[in-house]
Amino acid sequence: MRYSPTLLDHFLNPRNAGLMREPDGTGVDEYEGCGDLARFFLRVRDGRVTEVRFQTYGCGPTIAAASAASEKVVDRPVEELLNLKAQEVEDAVEGLPEDRKHAADVVAGALRAAALDALRRREGEA
Amino acid sequence: MTRRVYLDHNASTPVHPDVVAEMLPYFGERFGNPSSVHGFGREARAGVDLARERIARFMKVPADEVVFTSGGTESDNMALKGLAFARGKGHLITSRIEHHAVLRAAQWLETQGFTVTYVGVDEHGMVDPDEVKRAIRPDTIGISIMHANSEAGTIQPVAAIGALARERGIPFHVDAVQTFGKLDFDVNACGIDLLSFSAHKIYGPKGVAGFWIRKGIKVQAVQHGGEHERRRRAGTENVPAIVGFGKAVEIRGRDMKAEHERLTGLRDRLWEGIRARVPDVRLNGHPTERLPGTANLSYRGVESESIVLGLDLKGIGVSAGSACTAGSVEPSYVLVAMGLPLDWAMGAVRHSLGRSTTVEDIDYVIESVEPIVRKLRAAMPVGAA
Repeated sequence: MRYSPTLLDHFLNPRNAGLMREPDGTGVDEYEGCGDLARFFLRVRDGRVTEVRFQTYGCGPTIAAASAASEKVVDRPVEELLNLKAQEVEDAVEGLPEDRKHAADVVAGALRAAALDALRRREGEA
Repeated sequence: MTRRVYLDHNASTPVHPDVVAEMLPYFGERFGNPSSVHGFGREARAGVDLARERIARFMKVPADEVVFTSGGTESDNMALKGLAFARGKGHLITSRIEHHAVLRAAQWLETQGFTVTYVGVDEHGMVDPDEVKRAIRPDTIGISIMHANSEAGTIQPVAAIGALARERGIPFHVDAVQTFGKLDFDVNACGIDLLSFSAHKIYGPKGVAGFWIRKGIKVQAVQHGGEHERRRRAGTENVPAIVGFGKAVEIRGRDMKAEHERLTGLRDRLWEGIRARVPDVRLNGHPTERLPGTANLSYRGVESESIVLGLDLKGIGVSAGSACTAGSVEPSYVLVAMGLPLDWAMGAVRHSLGRSTTVEDIDYVIESVEPIVRKLRAAMPVGAA
C-alpha cells in the first residue's frame, strides 16, 4: 500500500474538519502551481490552542495530513506553531510518498499562518 | 473480504482464460523463432499466421495488410512518422484530444519541418468534420483522428472524415485502440487507410498491437532491422502475445454485439444511479455517441484523486481525470479541450466497464460513491477550486 494505515484512517474519518465561528486566528496556504489548499482556524486561550478546525482542497493525503496535524497542535502554545515543520506533519501520518510531500508543506504552512494571525490579533488587542 | 470491482477497462483488461490457454504452448513446446526455416520455426510461424488471419477476417481486409507491433503507441508512431517520412514534407491534421502517442509524435514532426493543424472538439468531445475540411491544404499529407477518446469515450464521425480524405486522396489514419473489438465498424465503409488497434484493451495480452495499412498507402518503416512483417516492422515477433491477440479478436467477433448492449445498459444505470443520489455531478462526453462501457463523471468542487482513493479503499478501481503530481496539478487536456470549467474538470472520475462487470458491481459503486463525495465536500472550502 502506498499510504500508511494512519493516513488512510484520517482520510476516511477526518477529525476537526469544517468551519469555526469567530476564530482567534485563521491561515491559508496553497501549494504553488497545484490546486492543493489548506485553511486552518484556531481557538486560543491563555496563549494555547484549545480548538482547531480545517478545510482542505486536494488529494487524499492533504486531507489526512490536515486532520492528523489538527490533533497534534491542540494544547500547544501558539508561538510554538510559528515554527511548525512539514516533517512533523508528515510524521503525524507516518510518512508520505515522494510525490505527495507537498501535502505536509501546505498543511504546515496554513497552521503557521494561522498561528501568526492569532498572535497579531492578540498584539492588536493589547 | 472486501468486494473488488474493476471499472478501469479503458486502461487495461484481464486476459480472457481462452486466450491464456491459446498462448501457453508458445512459451514452451512451440517456442521457435518464426523466421527459422526448421520445424520449430515453422510451428511458431503457423501461430503468427493464424493470428493474422483471424484479425484480417474480423476486419474484412487481406491478411498481408496487418502488421504486428509492440503496442498502440508504436502503431500510432508508425502511422504519423511513417506517413510523414514517406512523403518528406507537408502538413498533417489531427485533433487536440488524441492520445499522447499521436499528439507527441505530431509535435515531434513539427520539430522536423512538418506542419500540423490540431482541430478542436465541441462540448461533447466531438470533432467537426467541417473543421477538418477547412484545415485541408494542398500540401496535406495525412489526417489522423481517433475513433473514440479513452477518457470521455465520445465516438468520432470517422466515416464523414474518411469520405473527405478519400475525396482528396489524403491518407486517413484512425487510432482505434479504444473501439477495436468493441464497436462494429468497417474500415472500407469508413474510408480508413491506416488503423491502430491494441490487444490488452480487449482481453488480450499487453505488449502486442496491430497496425493495418491499406495496400498502396506508402508508409516509411520506423524501426529497421530484419525482414520481419514484410519489412514494415523489424524485430522478432512476440509470438505468444500475437497468438493471444488473434484469439482475443476471434472472441470479440463472437461476443462484441451482445456485450455492447449489456454494457450500455450498465453504464446508463451507473450514471442514473449516481445522478439521483449525488448533487452537483455531471456526465462528460457525448450523451449517446459514446463507448458502451465508458462513464466519465465530474463532481464539482471535489478533487478527483480523493474520490479515486476513497473508492479504492472500498475495493473499487476507477481512474482520475486529473493528475496531481508534485508541483503541478493537471486537469485532463481532453476535458479542457471540451471546454469543461476547471472546478468541474478537477473532479472528473472515469468509470470504464467490461466483460466481468455485473449489475451488483454497479449498484455497489453507486452506494459507495455517495458517502465519499459527501465527506470530501464537508472538508472542502467552497469555491476553492
